[in-house]
Amino acid sequence: MRKYIFRRLIQLVPILFGVTFLTFAMLQFSEEDAVDMMFRQQGSVSEEIMAAKRAELGLDKPFLVQYWNWLKGVATGDMGRSFISGKLVFETFAEKLPATIELMLASIFLTIFIATPLGIIAAVRQNKFVDYVIRGLSFVGNSMPNFFAGLLLIYFFALKLNLLPIISSGLQGVILPALTLTISMGAKYTRQIRAVVLEELQKPYVLGARSRGVDEVTILLKSVLPSALVMIITLLALSIGSLLGGTAIVETIFMWDGVGKMAVDAILMRDYPLIQAYVVWMAVIYVVINLAADLLYRYLDPRVAWEEGDADD
Amino acid sequence: MTKKILAALLAAGLLLTGCGGEKTSSDDKSTFTYGTVAYGVAMENAGTNPHESYSGWSAIRYGIGETLFKFNENMQLETWIAESFEQVDDFTLKIKIKDNVTFSNGKKVDGDAVKKCLEHLIAVHDRAPKDLKITSITADGQFVTIKSAEKVPALLNYLSDPYGCIIDVDAGITDGIAIGTGPYKAVKVTDTQIDLVKNENYWDAVKPKLEKITVKSITDGDTLTMAMQNGELDAVQGLPYSSLQLFNDANKFKLSQAETSRVYQAAFNFKTPVLQDLNVRRAISMAIDKENFTQVLLSGNGTPAVGPFPANLNFGDTKVTAAPYDIDAAKNLLAEAGWTDTNGDGYVDKDGKNLELNYLTYTSRQELPLLAESAQASLKKIGVKLNINATDNYKTFLKNGDYDIFSKAIVTAPTGDAEYYFTSHIVSGAVDNAGFYDSAEITALENELHNTFGADKRSDIAIKMSQQVLDDCALFYAAHLKMSLVMKANVTGFNAHPSDYYEITSAVEKK
Repeated sequence: MRKYIFRRLIQLVPILFGVTFLTFAMLQFSEEDAVDMMFRQQGSVSEEIMAAKRAELGLDKPFLVQYWNWLKGVATGDMGRSFISGKLVFETFAEKLPATIELMLASIFLTIFIATPLGIIAAVRQNKFVDYVIRGLSFVGNSMPNFFAGLLLIYFFALKLNLLPIISSGLQGVILPALTLTISMGAKYTRQIRAVVLEELQKPYVLGARSRGVDEVTILLKSVLPSALVMIITLLALSIGSLLGGTAIVETIFMWDGVGKMAVDAILMRDYPLIQAYVVWMAVIYVVINLAADLLYRYLDPRVAWEEGDADD
Repeated sequence: MTKKILAALLAAGLLLTGCGGEKTSSDDKSTFTYGTVAYGVAMENAGTNPHESYSGWSAIRYGIGETLFKFNENMQLETWIAESFEQVDDFTLKIKIKDNVTFSNGKKVDGDAVKKCLEHLIAVHDRAPKDLKITSITADGQFVTIKSAEKVPALLNYLSDPYGCIIDVDAGITDGIAIGTGPYKAVKVTDTQIDLVKNENYWDAVKPKLEKITVKSITDGDTLTMAMQNGELDAVQGLPYSSLQLFNDANKFKLSQAETSRVYQAAFNFKTPVLQDLNVRRAISMAIDKENFTQVLLSGNGTPAVGPFPANLNFGDTKVTAAPYDIDAAKNLLAEAGWTDTNGDGYVDKDGKNLELNYLTYTSRQELPLLAESAQASLKKIGVKLNINATDNYKTFLKNGDYDIFSKAIVTAPTGDAEYYFTSHIVSGAVDNAGFYDSAEITALENELHNTFGADKRSDIAIKMSQQVLDDCALFYAAHLKMSLVMKANVTGFNAHPSDYYEITSAVEKK
């Protein structure tokens, strides 16, 4: 197993090279750089002053030299400083991450808490009224963009019912942004869980259990649900990876000070060091989360084998 | 089982909504929550250190910092931390500091503290040294003497820029918190929020009334609107124009507006042969329906502009004249220039070619595309075809000269003085003279302005320069933007200021 994990982590190296190089290259296509964006606020600035600032930031150097300098810094653990705020990139990330993790945990919790029972109910009551209602709701949730769902929730829960704050921090403040994310994620999860539970319910071991007089609840909780877990973990791995990258729109609507909004601001301001750090973060997150999911598959379902050659690990 | 699950869901929901957490409440009269679109990393003003980028704007707007001089409602300078000043000679300015001013940490503000602050400012700030051109600062008791390398007639104005907030340099900057002299002091600063508390050591006679102020950056217009509607915020800045009508109920809300020096202008490209004809430029200027643009498209959030400066400035719109809106007169001017509609296609033509112009602008200022559309519709009435190119990649088009008219928004008098606008946008060869306008009269007047001290004399020259630009129809000026603050009806002392510098002051109160 250790070999397997090591090999997966080694795969991270070319991925990191690839994505950071591509991002760096794509940023060069923009007509404007960080210096243009910095001085945009300042009205009239001479070309000499802008050129001096470019030299100071190293933006006057050829693209490959800029990339190499950045890479050298990263190799020595120095992610650099934000062009705009002047703060260390690592510090900026450390400031924003807790909020993103809080929102991720809350929305994942709500999603599982809501989608699992709804998916099971829909499967058990297949083609009954409850099933149609749940499927209808999940269809709506799936097709609703986050910004629209967020504004609707604000309108009803904050403005009309005055139950929840819009812009507060703390546990109450996380409910609306987490619910916004839950609407689309929960809808997707509900449909998937319904499908997998339906599939499991048709399998011979379930029919056998029923024939032996095992009650439905026990079959669902002891047999069907564990089998559905593999699929749920796959979904979770994707969702957690995506949520840890921040959700720029939801973070902007609710002024949630996380990495998603930070990344969008960085892109708007052409803040290369911050953008690059974000790209590295995303790549690492996806690789690590997917690796963790693969390991969990094996733990939950012994039928899932390691890749060829790893069987004896 | 379904019932059990539903019950569990409801219980969890109630638990979550009932759980503690910091719910923003603005019912308490000693706390004030302010939502603004104008704070944050993208605005380069996150933090309260005036010596860093544009953070001085945050220091002065939110009552943390104060400058030696300040602007009144008519954008005239008054003393603030300074008690008086003396222009010793063209290069030397002597300022006396008020004797009772203290920093929020209780330390007295004397000449030495001001000297250290200004020296630090010119050592680390990107714009200040170029504006101030200071060569030496000396301190003696409550006096500070500033010597400049060259004549800087607008030195007092520059010292009133937010970067000129006097801070305790010895106390240092910790976590973006600067120690200023204002009625409030920052206790926590992030990229999206500033928490302030009352400065118990505030020196002025009008003491701060609020115990705690929270300034929140809210960049989404809908969120800002709804947070104001549901009472989470006591006041907001930067509401979308379309939302302002939601706050018309005078029993619940108040509106404070001020005309700013942000102008929406369009420069004619003198390299375009057809625009070298004064009659054509004048005809186009006369066809712009500024009243309609400000009242309908800006929903009254602007005033029709005559020249580059608003009427509340001494050298503003009441002192200059421009060709009035007159479609018939504009058509006559075009006819005089040889442009008539000979083929009946609705557009005037000459030598077989229609009068067709490329209008370049950008979209990051929401009003500019509206102005472009308004201009397009207006000019069609006189038979001029306008092709709009609204792009945030406008610099490439500017560099390539691929435009006949370039429209932009610009703050023309950020420090209450006119010279910056003329040297940056009007004089021949200026960095932002997009129309390549070249006038011998303007060059001579700018030389005179650069060597003239005294606000009144400088205003007189600025008026002449604005009038010259208008007489030459080098640009047309469409509107001056009003800034709007919306607040709850029980908020007093919170007023929009034409400088856009001062928002939270010691006068702000909740009744």
